[in-house]
Amino acid sequence: MSFTAFYKRNLGFYKLAIASNLEYRMNFFMDALLQPSITSIVEMVLWMAIFKGAQATTIGGFEQNSYLAYALWATFIARATVNWTYEFKMIEEIDQGSINGLLVRPMSYYEYYLSQLLGYKSITTGFSLLFPIGIILATGLPTQWDRFPAAMLLVFYYLFFVYSISFCIASLAFFFNKVQSLTVSKNLAMWLVTGELFPLDLMPDYLRKIFLMLPFSSGVYVPIGFLTGRIGWEFLWHGFASVTVGIIFFSALGAFLWQKGMKTYAGTGA
Amino acid sequence: MSEKFQFAIETEALGRSFQTYKKPEGLVNSIKGFWNRETIEKVALQKTNLKIEPGQIIGLVGSNGAGKTTLLKLLSGLISPTSGYAKVLGYEPFQRDPQFLRRISLLLGQKNQLWWDITPLDSYALLAKIYDLDEIKAAQRVQELAQILNCKHVLETQLRRLSLGERMKMEIIGSLLHEPDVLFLDEPTIGLDIVAQETIRHFLSSYVKNKGPTVILTSHYMDDIASLADRLLLISKGSLVYDGTVQGFVANAELIQTVTYKIVNQPEYKEEVKKTDLNEFLVQLTQKGQIENIKIEETDFEDVIHSFLQKESRVL
Repeated sequence: MSFTAFYKRNLGFYKLAIASNLEYRMNFFMDALLQPSITSIVEMVLWMAIFKGAQATTIGGFEQNSYLAYALWATFIARATVNWTYEFKMIEEIDQGSINGLLVRPMSYYEYYLSQLLGYKSITTGFSLLFPIGIILATGLPTQWDRFPAAMLLVFYYLFFVYSISFCIASLAFFFNKVQSLTVSKNLAMWLVTGELFPLDLMPDYLRKIFLMLPFSSGVYVPIGFLTGRIGWEFLWHGFASVTVGIIFFSALGAFLWQKGMKTYAGTGA
Repeated sequence: MSEKFQFAIETEALGRSFQTYKKPEGLVNSIKGFWNRETIEKVALQKTNLKIEPGQIIGLVGSNGAGKTTLLKLLSGLISPTSGYAKVLGYEPFQRDPQFLRRISLLLGQKNQLWWDITPLDSYALLAKIYDLDEIKAAQRVQELAQILNCKHVLETQLRRLSLGERMKMEIIGSLLHEPDVLFLDEPTIGLDIVAQETIRHFLSSYVKNKGPTVILTSHYMDDIASLADRLLLISKGSLVYDGTVQGFVANAELIQTVTYKIVNQPEYKEEVKKTDLNEFLVQLTQKGQIENIKIEETDFEDVIHSFLQKESRVL
């Protein structure tokens, strides 16, 4: 197989995700802008209330504006680094047998949805980030713009890690059929361990160290902490390294589960 | 086909069974089943030996759950066998070699395989990339096939907005775009009206005559089988119960004919008579009186298949 064929095929999947999502304008608008905007506003109001209630100018060594900037970015970046849509779709396809139509094509199921996830995230994230960028520019909340490309690069790289976990969970559908509740549980845990709920530096020291060691923190805390000046470059490099280890681990696990799953697959439903 | 095979499809003792569990009726058993499930093994396809020459069109017929689709899934590499092996174009299907997948096509009449949210033209452009086809030639081929199927006008409409018949035409174009050497057609005319069935039947008939792919066709419409297949496989409870020509099957089947007759001054009667007993029946009939009117109806192919499977307590 030539690289050109591989590239063209995956670019096709990437564009397919964009075209499919733009087909439903209302849903796209709600998904890309309204939903994260509302979450963001709620979290910012919450931090204002916390500061007012605590009658403090700093919490954990950082001022209110730092938390507001964190909350604003975090909700949008967390939205970019979570995978609900395609994980559910993959589980459903395996459970209901509609995966059959894809398995008879000369392509890998892994690349098919990875490229679609990247396409979907590119269009929705590219659009939704206009909101926090606009707010930050208007209000002057702390953000180091020179760090923006590196932070976004880590976010993009983290998507490969997120997808490799999704692939493992979807592969479990070969054995257990309905595993959507695992997706929900995993994403709830991610809410905490990525630092979406609150910055990891507010955690007890031993927990913070553990969470920073793990690749999950590269989904929100590391890129946003880095972007808003809470942490330095060493965290970013560590983030790239831990995400790489995570991708290798979950990709290997996913390949194992997939092969085992395909052996048991009955192809029912189609 | 680039290589020459004696058999395009060859299987030996190919079988598949599934693990499932027994669920007795009722809520109490649902609760019990949460902790303790009685696993049972269900044989979907008994050990099957098949040899299909290149270019043959096989009609695969059987009742629901007889094992037709399981056989197609095994041959297209969707599922792994639990016994024996299969070779399709020299490949082991379940290895799912991309070179093998480029040369086959599986059309599932009850499932959409094109993309729901985009237009057929966009789907075909994507398929051209997946199959690494020359995009210009692929686009020309789409236009040609759409012209024959009389559906050019819907190529730029999203799949979800098309009627069932139009969708099936689109699916057929998609499955033929890469000119497969082996074509698995699972119920290609299911749910379609008579006109659409006829159009697709004619199209497939002329396509296979021109291109000569090996075809395995399953259908509940016996007209599909009678008009397209040159070899008939009857499958029942996971076993092949007939392998031969359609004509041979009909010739050897115990044909029943319906005789409608009216004797002068008597009401009209209708009786079913075995074809072998027909002469004797007619002789006896002439002795009953002067025949005013008589009509003898041939049993059609569908009835023959139906009665064959029914005889084995296996209803279509």
